[in-house]
Amino acid sequence: MQEIITTAPWGALMVVIPLAAAAASYLFPWRSALMAASAIAFPAAFYSLALLARDVWVSGAVRYRIGGWGSPLGIDLFADGLSILMLFMTIVVVMAASIYSSFYFSGDVERKRSFWPLWMFLWAGLNGVFLSGDVFNLYVTLEVMVIASVALISLKGGREALLSGMRYFLVSVLGSLSYLMGVAMLYGSYGILDIGALGRTIGPDPAAQIAIVLIVTGLLAKTALFPLHFWLPKAHASAPVPVSAALSALVVKAPFYIILRLWTDVFSHDIISHAGLMLGVLGSVAIIWGGVMALRQTRLKMLVAYSTVSQIGYLFLFFPMAGSSDAFLGCVYQALSHGLAKASMFLAAGNLIKALGSDLIEDLRGLRQRLNISTFAFGLAGISLMGLPPGAGFIAKWQLLKASIETGQWWWAIIIVAGGLLAAGYLFPVLRNIISQSQDPVECAKVPFGMEAAAIVLAVLSLVLGIAAAVPLSLFRTALL
Amino acid sequence: MKADEPAEKITQRILTAFFAAGLALVLAMAVTDLPEGVGLSGDAQESLKQSGVENSVTAVLLNFRGYDTLLEICVLLLSVLGVMTLTNGRIRRPEYSIDPLLHVLARVLVPLMVLVSGYLLYEGSYAPGGAFQAGAVLGSAIVLSRLAGLAAVEKFNRAFLVAAMLGFAVFLIIAVIPLAYGRNFIEYPPEYAGILIFTIEASLTISIAIILYSLFSGGSAIPSRSHPGGRKN
Repeated sequence: MQEIITTAPWGALMVVIPLAAAAASYLFPWRSALMAASAIAFPAAFYSLALLARDVWVSGAVRYRIGGWGSPLGIDLFADGLSILMLFMTIVVVMAASIYSSFYFSGDVERKRSFWPLWMFLWAGLNGVFLSGDVFNLYVTLEVMVIASVALISLKGGREALLSGMRYFLVSVLGSLSYLMGVAMLYGSYGILDIGALGRTIGPDPAAQIAIVLIVTGLLAKTALFPLHFWLPKAHASAPVPVSAALSALVVKAPFYIILRLWTDVFSHDIISHAGLMLGVLGSVAIIWGGVMALRQTRLKMLVAYSTVSQIGYLFLFFPMAGSSDAFLGCVYQALSHGLAKASMFLAAGNLIKALGSDLIEDLRGLRQRLNISTFAFGLAGISLMGLPPGAGFIAKWQLLKASIETGQWWWAIIIVAGGLLAAGYLFPVLRNIISQSQDPVECAKVPFGMEAAAIVLAVLSLVLGIAAAVPLSLFRTALL
Repeated sequence: MKADEPAEKITQRILTAFFAAGLALVLAMAVTDLPEGVGLSGDAQESLKQSGVENSVTAVLLNFRGYDTLLEICVLLLSVLGVMTLTNGRIRRPEYSIDPLLHVLARVLVPLMVLVSGYLLYEGSYAPGGAFQAGAVLGSAIVLSRLAGLAAVEKFNRAFLVAAMLGFAVFLIIAVIPLAYGRNFIEYPPEYAGILIFTIEASLTISIAIILYSLFSGGSAIPSRSHPGGRKN
């Protein structure tokens, strides 16, 4: 792959801007200051991302030497098409959820004061992961992301949120330690931490193999692949609504991104011969298990959270078909489409629950008359998750199907189709309940327009991503060549 | 272990022990297999002259891999934010009466600890030491004075919050300034590197001390069974 060293600070700014916003919202927790900070931070970040994307478009991949030292001594930032798409998904979801949060937390002074700095640190951590070119730095950025997530989950207070936050924290720390042991092993063997340099020097040594097992296992726990998914549904369901959206859409994608990055750039085929098949099998079980569990839920947020367990499974179908570019595109598209659709679905579900004051699926009757926009957003996001055209999820699943036929591994196709049917199975009853007329007039709390708008914007974007698939597809072909 | 513990739990423990032992064995085998003399300490020594400090650990932490340290400070700050979230900003009061002996001891020890902390900070630029050690000593000085009834901080007030943030804010500003002069992020000009790194370390020392103290006195966060609601408001 073509790669240039840049001195343009766009990548560094993608981390600096959220950090500065975090500091500002921490020191000046007043409404006007928060508005000013986000009015500067989001456009500035968009601008930096656009220029970074332009550089990647022109050069294939860019590397930025922090401190001017360069690898192996210093830390390099690295961005290619894959990083750009992840950063783009992150900024879109964070922005929409920020708009949502400004209504969600209004009136709750105490929590609002903690929320914004934590939220901006979470964004910084995510951007840091997607831009890091160094395996130890990845550990640090993951920590920023995880500690911020744990604090955000606990923000809701109450026994359930604290316990599920704590469980997530413990699993995540265990995962981090496993990852860190692996990194120490790699450093002990090769004396480098830079991803590109590691890819050039790594060999089939026993230490490297153990390092890979430790690294991948640690990350699997963080990304909640079956059977290490047990912490996810409760943590995602009991968090405040905008946090649930960010957790399901973004936070589980970051460790997955690292696995994908290391798999394609560092771990060569002779070190990991059968591991890909194993990840594919685990992914398949996750698709079916998550779907079946989602079918059995009576609470809306738990259903949406179990759907995340299922949708994460698709990401791992890439590994047994790693040679196929269709599989790569499908997997990345799945990450993006699930990110947008699931964030939208959590926000819409939050609106429905807020209006109703209950999160039981059977209570969701007759809400359509009151919450047209949220209902529509839930439906659009559902189309994408089920893999129906023209949602972005359709492109993802189509690419994966194509790859499974091309590589002759037709059995994955059965799983993909079954997963789609299961998704339809657990989403249609919800929609039927919302749309159905109810005899009694429904008592509804008012939901601010901004909260509904945030949900629908993300849902529409997940549709646009499906209709205009050519642009992103050509951008992340640069990550392949 | 209690006698009435269910058999399931014991099985779980045995399985965990086997897993941990197996992992330890595999790790031990892998570690003995590692080659010797691999690493970057040679590179670090070579670049030490341009780093602005004479101690290679400080050079790695604040210069070569300063980006990692910046993010680690975020993690520390996040942990305090997390504690504040859980306790609604309250600081736990010590529930016991204060020992007069401890009070006298603290009055002698605390000034000494502040002095040692300052020395560790200063020493960090040419010998082992620096912001983390100095901050830890300063932090324990505050903890000690709290336990001995010398300090009376009841709530995370504004000055407290600003002090905890200080190190991060100063580091971030100094890291960004080179961008305005056409340099890379965290690329200090060599002639100013020494003083810039010291400024960062000094402010980090204060913040780390405050952060460690906040974590110590953060209070019990998980609600007890008698108060299932957790927070009061």
